[in-house]
Amino acid sequence: MDVISIFHEDIVLLSVTMVMNHRRNARTPARLLARTCYKRALSTTTRFCAALKFTDKHEWVRVDSGVATVGISNFAQEALGDVVYCGLPEVGTKLAQSDEFGALESVKAASELYSPLTGEVTDVNDALADNPGLVNKSCYKDGWLIKMTVYIPEELDGLMEEAAYERYIKSIED
Amino acid sequence: MILRLSNRACVLSGSARLKSTLSTFFDEMGKAGIVLKSASTGIFENLALEDWIHDRVDLQNRSMLLLWRNSPVVVIGRHQNPWQECNLPLMRRLGIPLARRRSGGGTVFHDFGNINMTFFTSKKKYDRHRNLKVVTRALKALRPDLDVAASDRFDILLNGHYKISGTAAKLGRTSAYHHCTLLCSVDRSILPSVLKSNTSEVIKSSATPSVPSPVKNLLDVDPTLDSNTIMDAIASQYSNEFGFDSPVIKVDPTHEGLMPGIHKMAQDLQTWEWIYGRTPKFSVCSSIVVEDVTIKLDMDIKNGAVEQCAMEIPENWLPSEMVNEFTSTLNGSKYCPNETAVLVAAFMRTVSMTADVAVKIHRLCAGVVSVM
Repeated sequence: MDVISIFHEDIVLLSVTMVMNHRRNARTPARLLARTCYKRALSTTTRFCAALKFTDKHEWVRVDSGVATVGISNFAQEALGDVVYCGLPEVGTKLAQSDEFGALESVKAASELYSPLTGEVTDVNDALADNPGLVNKSCYKDGWLIKMTVYIPEELDGLMEEAAYERYIKSIED
Repeated sequence: MILRLSNRACVLSGSARLKSTLSTFFDEMGKAGIVLKSASTGIFENLALEDWIHDRVDLQNRSMLLLWRNSPVVVIGRHQNPWQECNLPLMRRLGIPLARRRSGGGTVFHDFGNINMTFFTSKKKYDRHRNLKVVTRALKALRPDLDVAASDRFDILLNGHYKISGTAAKLGRTSAYHHCTLLCSVDRSILPSVLKSNTSEVIKSSATPSVPSPVKNLLDVDPTLDSNTIMDAIASQYSNEFGFDSPVIKVDPTHEGLMPGIHKMAQDLQTWEWIYGRTPKFSVCSSIVVEDVTIKLDMDIKNGAVEQCAMEIPENWLPSEMVNEFTSTLNGSKYCPNETAVLVAAFMRTVSMTADVAVKIHRLCAGVVSVM
């Protein structure tokens, strides 16, 4: 049994219990949500697909089953240099979009990290305590920083798709 | 030209523009570069001033240099472990406070013989090498024969060997600051002993370590070089280097009216939660000797509090139930000698024990506190 809790500012806490079949059929998370009483229509593609989205502060977000994984982009890790310490928040910390949630220390400086979304921290990458270099070596995979719930799914619409982010980087470099 | 902002502030508050702050004052000045001098020698007020400028002043088209000095204090980097970096019991005895800054880097000792310089810029213009050139060129302008140069670690070395300056930095949303120290006439009888931990061998931690270096004062090579002369030279060279026409402005960081929110920033920097509680998770594994008995002490400290405490004590010295009750008392408490002493005193009042056991508990407490 999987339990998905959806937080939305217009509705009271809604828990959706879902039975996961081996093959995702009619009871996909998106379909179940469509049946619940949301005031706003939900687009299924941006909320629950696993594509990367980027902020202008060079953080990436990947949403999977209502949980967002957050990390820094390749551009950011190259600019930072070797990360020697990851200062990350406690599980349970509530973050508003753009709140400072920690810092990465490298030879360059202590660089603050800003939350791409509004939500609550559900997991912190403990592997980074002993191996902060994972942020450089595998910034999109093993070097993830935190996982958090997505309180306001619409915030994802304001983030950049990969192609737009590539264009953004080129514009800064010029 | 030095403007006293405290006088100017009276003018500002007397006018109809009650919302004027230091930030709007800079905007109205229209200067691309400004040099500030702090009127305070309090570390927390000065660190708060840095935070305030970084957060509230528009640094996209303007750069600033802040010059400041503090009364004796040990300052650790954002992700450091004070128990590993300095001698806390000695500092308590000498009345030297501990501060944690928001930038990275290592541990330093400040007193009036040390000059602090903070270079504020936009993130784009962040350039530590260029900032350090301001310092080395200023010193060489004063004394052309002085052998001072920046290393690739962003230290400034005297005679190729002695560290006279260390660097740390913070990158924020859109702006950055780079600050560094400069040893002019620091009390070198205190510096080495406060910066040597009494417990580093018993600590296991992933905190960022300092890189110890031999140090010297500029005063040692030239007794005529004093802090004020050096600060003036640096202010002047800053203007030369960046092509600014910077006035030097004295700022009082306790002026809440001019810098709304600065008082709270200073308060936040003084909380136990920030100074000690932000220490990365670490463990202590120590053998302490009490009454000729060797006791093995194991503690896990998270957010500055004892997450777990275990002791190996011979059963015939103290019964294990008593030991378990003692260690449970410590669980969840701040890793702090005062708090521990208070908890143990309460423990001794509430748990019945013979006088003999009470003496042992008292001495055990002293042993535990000795590693804090």
